[in-house]
Amino acid sequence: MKKKFSVTALILVAFFVAGAQDLSLDEILSKHYQAMGFENLKKVNTIIMTGTMVQQDAMPVKIIRMRPDHYLMEFDIQDITAYQGYDGQTAWWTTPWTGNPKPQLMPDDRAKELKSRADFDGLLYHWKEKGHTVELLGRDTVDKSPVFKLKITKKDGGVEFLFLDAAKFIVQKRMYYRIVRGQEVAMENYFRDYRSVGDVLFAFTQDTHYGGQPYNSLQFDSIELNKPVDGKIFRMPAK
Amino acid sequence: MKYHFFSSIIVFILLFPVFGSGQKVLQWRGVNRSGVYDETSLLKSWPEKGPELLWEFNGLGNGYGSPVITGEMLFINGEIDTVSYLFALDLSGKYLWKSKIGKEWTLSYPGSRSTPTVVDDLVYVTAGWGQVACLEAGTGKERWSLNMITDFHGAAPRFGFSESLLVEGNTVYCSPGSPDTNVVALDRFTGKIIWISKGAGEMTAYCSPMLISLPQRNILVTFSKTTLLGIDTKDGKLLWSYKQEGQDIDCQVNTPIFENGFIYCVAGNGNGAFKLKLSADGTQIAELWKNPECDNLMGGFIKVNDYIYTSGYEKRQYYIVETNTGKIVDSVKFDRGTTNYADGMLYLYNEKGQVGLFRPAGPRMEQVSTFKLTAGTKAHFSHPVICNGIMYIRHGKSLLAYKVK
Repeated sequence: MKKKFSVTALILVAFFVAGAQDLSLDEILSKHYQAMGFENLKKVNTIIMTGTMVQQDAMPVKIIRMRPDHYLMEFDIQDITAYQGYDGQTAWWTTPWTGNPKPQLMPDDRAKELKSRADFDGLLYHWKEKGHTVELLGRDTVDKSPVFKLKITKKDGGVEFLFLDAAKFIVQKRMYYRIVRGQEVAMENYFRDYRSVGDVLFAFTQDTHYGGQPYNSLQFDSIELNKPVDGKIFRMPAK
Repeated sequence: MKYHFFSSIIVFILLFPVFGSGQKVLQWRGVNRSGVYDETSLLKSWPEKGPELLWEFNGLGNGYGSPVITGEMLFINGEIDTVSYLFALDLSGKYLWKSKIGKEWTLSYPGSRSTPTVVDDLVYVTAGWGQVACLEAGTGKERWSLNMITDFHGAAPRFGFSESLLVEGNTVYCSPGSPDTNVVALDRFTGKIIWISKGAGEMTAYCSPMLISLPQRNILVTFSKTTLLGIDTKDGKLLWSYKQEGQDIDCQVNTPIFENGFIYCVAGNGNGAFKLKLSADGTQIAELWKNPECDNLMGGFIKVNDYIYTSGYEKRQYYIVETNTGKIVDSVKFDRGTTNYADGMLYLYNEKGQVGLFRPAGPRMEQVSTFKLTAGTKAHFSHPVICNGIMYIRHGKSLLAYKVK
């Protein structure tokens, strides 16, 4: 009985994978938009994500996002609050652990990363209008699960890879490279524990690996939609 | 009758060295600084959202130190605008007064660190930049104060002075951590020096000391940077020391436990958990086991019968360690954090803000109830206190009082 079930499951997976392999990029993206609830996301203007960032210590983290591309991350390192912000024009941060608590402009490479994160709908939605290029590189696996690997060449020239679950069409992993002391270091974000909020899917856990090693984990307790947010908070403070 | 009376006197005399002068010291981690609170008839499970919140006070300033509760008042430290204050509240959470202690630590992990020590009508406090002060419990008026950096050539360790002061009889002890003035005994009424110990000549290591009372002598046990120290409280003589192995070690935060001739330690750096045998006269130690895998940094540990319950550091889980062998016999996923004990139950408070009521069951611990703190600020590092059926939890600027009886 158990064996019959396993064989049936195997056939179904094989059938599915064979079918999925034939999907075009447009078909994959269409299923991705549907799976994530993009139609419902259009009705959302702000997102507030509150939780914990585990990186040596477990510290509070809050991410506030506003259409079309406003982003503010408030997080604690050594129990001192730091910020990363983007107001649609200027990417800035504070790095109090360096001894300098003042807001500063982000270096170019980090600013590009933040702009990607700030895109309210994500890079894939309306990618042509945004000036990006998306290529389907074929099938791969993430944590032994079959995925579609997509390469996104952004308008600014930066490259990211997204890995979409071959069955659920949700993002399993994002990968890009950061230049650290002249060397390319792989940054990998793993998206887990998807839950529906307002009929939009959100990953409540985001684990980041840096150079192949676990780096930090964002674990959200709550994700709130359409709460009033003052647009001024995204601007770089004077001091 | 006469025989009974005589026996009672003998028993009293025998007990006298153990209980000192009968002095009631309210301090860090409860009875003997062991993390055990002498409470009875506490709840054996909590409602889904946690025990009833009786009150919260949200104006403490930054900090991680726990409160100390007397019959009428509650004392706790907090940092506001770089200054450390001793706050006094009544037992309904109403603010009474605050009194300035000194400059508080505002670099990494800013905020007050230590827990006040209360003896009769006096409160003993420290601040992150080395201030030691004695204040009147009723008013907060300063009796005396000194600074471990300017007065004793001490140096602040990288996370600031964090010691909760130990009081024994008429003496209060502090650890400046300088090579020549390592541990100091002060007259607790005047602040005058009684003796100075060179210890191992190392930097202080955030440890709040504990006291071992033996028939022959009393011993102050504390950590400096890499070394556990046993100091005779009569004259400051270093009786023995125990070196931690490893490189770049400087955090020896947890207060050791002494029981039936054995010293138990759990340290985040160096040897991890270890057990020492103390000679009957207190002058010698012998290592029985060590286990670097059990590496709790600052959450404390609890010993119940033959088991130690504590969280890990590198691995974010709780451990149960068998105390005869030092082996980890089980682990439980509950992130990492503090461990306390009252009325047969373990009280866990982890860095994600979850509070857990666990039942210690020998080589296992069983989760009974959990809830998540919703008030407060910053990191969840403080140690809960259970007193008179109330569990007090400090979360940054907030102090929360839960009814657990």
